[in-house]
Amino acid sequence: MKTAPPACPYPETGARYWRGPEELSDSPEFRSWVEQEFPAGAEEMKDGATRRDFVKLMSASFMLAGLGIFGVGCRRPEEEILPFAKHPEGYVHGVPQQFATALPTRTGAIPLVARSNDGRPTKVEGNAQIPGGNGGTDVFAQASVLSLYDPDRARRFARKGTDGSLAKAGRNEALDALGAIGQKFSGNGGEGLSFLTQRTHSPTELRVRAELSRKFPRAKWFAHEPVDFDIRRRSASTAYGRPVQARYHLDKAAVILSLDCDFLSTEAGMETFSRDFAKTRKASKAHPEMSRLFVVEALMTLTGGAADHRLRVPASQVIRVAAQIADLVLADSGIPGSQTGDLRNALTNLGRGLSSELANADWIRGCANDLLANKGKAVVLAGYQQPLEVQLIAHALNFALGGQGTTYDLVPAPDLGEGTLGELAASLNAGSVDTLVIIGANPAYDAPVDVNWSAAQAKAGDVVRIGYFEDETAAACNWHFPLAHYLESWGDARTADGLQVPVQPLIQPLFGGITVIEFLARIGGLATVNPYELVRETFASAAGGSLVENAWKKFLHDGFLAGTGHQAVEAAVNWRTVATAVAGASAAAAPSVDTLEVVFARDARVDDGRYANNGWLQELPDPVTKVAWENVISMSKETAKALGVFPSYWDETALTEEFEKIQEYQNLEGKGLTYASLIKLTLGGREVIGPLWIQPGLADNTVVLQLGYGRTKAGRVGDLAGYNAYALRNSSAPWVTTGGSVSVERDRYEIACTQTHWKMEGRPIVREANLEQFKQYPEFASAMNGHEMPGGNRTLYPNPLDELRKNPNVVHQWGMAIDLGACTGCSACVIACQSENNIPIVGKRQMSRSREMHWLRIDRYFAGPFAEPQMTNQPMMCQHCEAAPCESVCPVNATVHDEEGLNVMAYNRCVGTRYCSNNCPYKVRRYNFFDYNKRSLKEIAGTETKLLGTVYSSPLTSTTDGEWDLLRWWKDPDNNTKRPTDEWELLKLVKNPDVSVRMRGVMEKCTFCTQRIEQAKIERKVKARASGDVAVPDGDLKTACQQACPAEAIAFGNLNDEQSTVSRWKADTRNYSVLDYLLTKPRLTYLARVRNPNPAMPDHTEHPISTTDYAETNHVHGNPNEAHHGGHHDDHGHAADHGANGDH
Amino acid sequence: MSDIFPKWTNRLPLYVILGGLLVGSAAIGGIWYYFTPKYTRVGYMPKQPVAFSHTIHAGELGIDCRYCHSHVEKSWFSNVPATGTCINCHGPNNGGILKDDPRLALVRQSAETGEPIPWKQVHKVPDYVYFNHSVHVNRGISCVECHGEVQKMDEVWHAKPLSMAFCLDCHRNPESKVRPLEEITNLEWSWSDDPKVAATKQKAFGKDFVEHAKIHASQNCSACHR
Repeated sequence: MKTAPPACPYPETGARYWRGPEELSDSPEFRSWVEQEFPAGAEEMKDGATRRDFVKLMSASFMLAGLGIFGVGCRRPEEEILPFAKHPEGYVHGVPQQFATALPTRTGAIPLVARSNDGRPTKVEGNAQIPGGNGGTDVFAQASVLSLYDPDRARRFARKGTDGSLAKAGRNEALDALGAIGQKFSGNGGEGLSFLTQRTHSPTELRVRAELSRKFPRAKWFAHEPVDFDIRRRSASTAYGRPVQARYHLDKAAVILSLDCDFLSTEAGMETFSRDFAKTRKASKAHPEMSRLFVVEALMTLTGGAADHRLRVPASQVIRVAAQIADLVLADSGIPGSQTGDLRNALTNLGRGLSSELANADWIRGCANDLLANKGKAVVLAGYQQPLEVQLIAHALNFALGGQGTTYDLVPAPDLGEGTLGELAASLNAGSVDTLVIIGANPAYDAPVDVNWSAAQAKAGDVVRIGYFEDETAAACNWHFPLAHYLESWGDARTADGLQVPVQPLIQPLFGGITVIEFLARIGGLATVNPYELVRETFASAAGGSLVENAWKKFLHDGFLAGTGHQAVEAAVNWRTVATAVAGASAAAAPSVDTLEVVFARDARVDDGRYANNGWLQELPDPVTKVAWENVISMSKETAKALGVFPSYWDETALTEEFEKIQEYQNLEGKGLTYASLIKLTLGGREVIGPLWIQPGLADNTVVLQLGYGRTKAGRVGDLAGYNAYALRNSSAPWVTTGGSVSVERDRYEIACTQTHWKMEGRPIVREANLEQFKQYPEFASAMNGHEMPGGNRTLYPNPLDELRKNPNVVHQWGMAIDLGACTGCSACVIACQSENNIPIVGKRQMSRSREMHWLRIDRYFAGPFAEPQMTNQPMMCQHCEAAPCESVCPVNATVHDEEGLNVMAYNRCVGTRYCSNNCPYKVRRYNFFDYNKRSLKEIAGTETKLLGTVYSSPLTSTTDGEWDLLRWWKDPDNNTKRPTDEWELLKLVKNPDVSVRMRGVMEKCTFCTQRIEQAKIERKVKARASGDVAVPDGDLKTACQQACPAEAIAFGNLNDEQSTVSRWKADTRNYSVLDYLLTKPRLTYLARVRNPNPAMPDHTEHPISTTDYAETNHVHGNPNEAHHGGHHDDHGHAADHGANGDH
Repeated sequence: MSDIFPKWTNRLPLYVILGGLLVGSAAIGGIWYYFTPKYTRVGYMPKQPVAFSHTIHAGELGIDCRYCHSHVEKSWFSNVPATGTCINCHGPNNGGILKDDPRLALVRQSAETGEPIPWKQVHKVPDYVYFNHSVHVNRGISCVECHGEVQKMDEVWHAKPLSMAFCLDCHRNPESKVRPLEEITNLEWSWSDDPKVAATKQKAFGKDFVEHAKIHASQNCSACHR
């Protein structure tokens, strides 16, 4: 048991810095949790085997091992090298190949470059070659490669058997059945034939669909997306009176207003939004300019965290705030009243309904003034979950602010004329659908409840579906076709910018799946059904000319067809249409405790549920709540208290009898776990049960439900994770609805939350300043450094890396810098790291014991009052300290420095003492408590045991596939795995062959992608041959996190090169080290964040709250941004001493 | 008590200690010697499925190593040639050398059926070692340094231990091993037949090459272990 970190005394008044509700309440329970050395508790071993068992087992193992050695001999097993009989042209074994492809999404496609290691796709990166591209992606693209190897994906052609369940069918038989559908309806023009599709932007798919429509003119087409962004098209088309859609250019914006639009995380196209937004957020001493972000929102989102001014209102009231802002802007916009008069009347009426508690006239006035002051450089974004009227107000504002052509433009977006799911259900119920073809969609899981989909689907004569999983919808189909993964498919797509991009396969379909294009072409009985040929035909007509072969090769090579991007069109807002629509808006009254507002939200991890079986995404902590493996029911503290569901153990005032009871409970259940209450939410006679999450910054009287969880047939990872929020969703109010009541179902429920780990009190971990201060004190970040010893910081021993920096033979010194001004916390880097570095998933139970394996985590801090906090994000991984505390305590030299400044891990030396982890001040080392790569997914995810997976089990007593584990091991020592064969065979394919897969008992941590470093150095040396040109040029080498970052917030490179990006960043005045006063000399430094609040706003403060907090905690007198100010802190650098000394 | 413990038992502790020392030393020495790659690997010569002779091909005919091991300069892996490479000379149409020889039956069969020839792996470093051929052969290290005089081997055998100590010997002292890049695959090459002259020349060349090419053979863990 270590001593409790001597805490800095919190100021009696004023703001303070905290990471979670428990911490803010500072309960004794939380204290005791912090004081434990290992929150997870190493006595974990007691569930299953005792020490005696262990010794027994070990002696048995040694005996068997001995037999193995002397029975088989000392030689390594004989292995074979099997070269090709005929070598494929251009293939070099061991050299990864890169192919341009794209991940199709609802709103377009994310252009990618996929890496193939000897035929296996192992990693995807964004395509940086496309115009404006920077190689950044979102989390879904990064994780998509794991879905390719999902053992639960549809692996067969199946038809409904006599017993009503799906049974394997022959491929040819299945394909013939598709042709039969076409033949059946060829006579009557498709009467009775209906298609249910997802949104697509594939030119070839749309072409095939058009051919089908020609062939079956009476066939009907419906589209279903539970999280639909089509409102962007509908709203712009309505506002401008022609089929268009707005395309935003945030990099050109000086002021951005988000109306409940989480464009940095859950809005589609976040990777381009982040890219453009970040460009305007990197203030420097030479260019102290940046954009300003206003956010009006109900949920606490990453966009709200990035905001300079945030207004917290319930989702249903955003429209009223928007109306008030628009009213003010239109009044002074210079557009004649004859045009905007009607609209302004409607806006005034709408805005008047904003209740007095929520009305913040000064804020709204200030925001409107700022927008007006930046005419031509201002842009307004409305979230997809807001009603059409809010979108129209946003379009009107954008037009009035004159940003067309600068901050946004309009691109053509034709209406495909698809019906809705509700309309399809109606025609099903009317008995007018003979054959229903479902393409991808999973309505049995995610349809609104009032549609009553299962009953409707049963009315169809025949249901034929192509899907990636045999999921909820598949169960009631007559035919089910396995869908090919995009990395197995020939296809094409358009990005949101309209650029035509190829979808190129890297591997034959693993389970013979077919593409949607082929599926449709076969139904239509087209002359060509081969997707490759179909895509080429489309391409030929788009590219034209006689050089099609060359153009096609270039298309595949570059990953886009130049010149195909949308051409912007100019149009004026139709004021009358907007006015009519806004006048007809029916905005609800402000919610109260009795009339709660229930908000459904797209999940940042599993999307609408489609990624529920992706282990990497399940294990990714939510960027805001930091809860993994499930969704939560979020509400504000005030609301929870008013509803009587606030857990007493989170309350600073209720620490009496109740608390003791909880302590007992805790001792019983094992310490260090995060708990939440389970609550039941009843809405319209239906209910869901989920963990209550008290969310800082959430609007009062608003309850947030995340979609995408509670799947019943997702697979062995996703089943049982979370609750199904779709069960409460109505098609009339898919996003925001009123009503509902809550009750506590269970007092304590274990939850996997990485939020409250590693408390860092009162120290300037994330440093922030406001732009006005930054202009005056550009060195503010170093002003927060710990003080130096008199005469400078001297160490007993010289730093060997100082010497190495002078050594001309050591040409590289690696370093990294992260710009906290640009980082939004989207977590794409976390998944990129997981993918690149073979990081296993550990499951909810392990995560709840702080045993997650992510090498890179995003620390999310709140500062300020619980209700209105300021949020900051900080990617945290191994800092590669030059004076690394981990190295000095390792008894076996397993972690040492290399001469290029990397803190390296020699896994083979590691004996698992975990001393290094104890001594790491950044808590970034990860320990393999179990052989996670050899455990079955069911065991890890706990899908059999209600999420509480049993990861420890003794091979003496356990069985796998009905066979005693010890016997399995005896028969085949190489296969002593508890992972079923299909998982084993599939999941090993996703591993990066350049990175060791770590076993149980080994410590690991961020390596700065040492495999990429070595690869880059080797490539350079191979080119150099006998010359001395061995320095890796800047930009040739990117770490996985850096490459994935859409905001370009990470720079990595050679510090010996003064011109390298990282050197220039580190020379920036914002550069600082975390916990600098420990003198660990990290190679990873951060650029402090600059906020840009408007001094004229009512919520403006001179300093960010965290800076004020720092100043108060450390007794800084005067301006904390100013270095060397008089009279303060003679022991400023020893923040930890404060706790011991008390105040002074 | 002397009935129970005769006099010689007084010396028993000494015997035990001495005996223990002897047995212990023997065990340690045995493991030290017998469990190292030097003992376990050097001399390993599995019988290959095809009686391919490096003596004939590389030695007598003087075919360059890279004719067959064509990717050694591009990849971490030095490939064993595809059957197609053998057929270039031994095929029935092109070359036609020994086209009906029974020793080449498996090669012809492989070319016909597309089934690979199951060559036995001789040289192998453990999975946690990321050895890269290309960086060595492009920067002055000849094949012969690790593989021995393959041009004199009828059946390839494991000539060097390829242990970590073996790697480090050279990484600590690359001057003694680097050679002109045009002589990398010339396994017979030496500066001179006179060892003294050769040593002097090697010393001068090695120093110069290492300096000019900035050869800085890493001795850090991260060089090979990731």
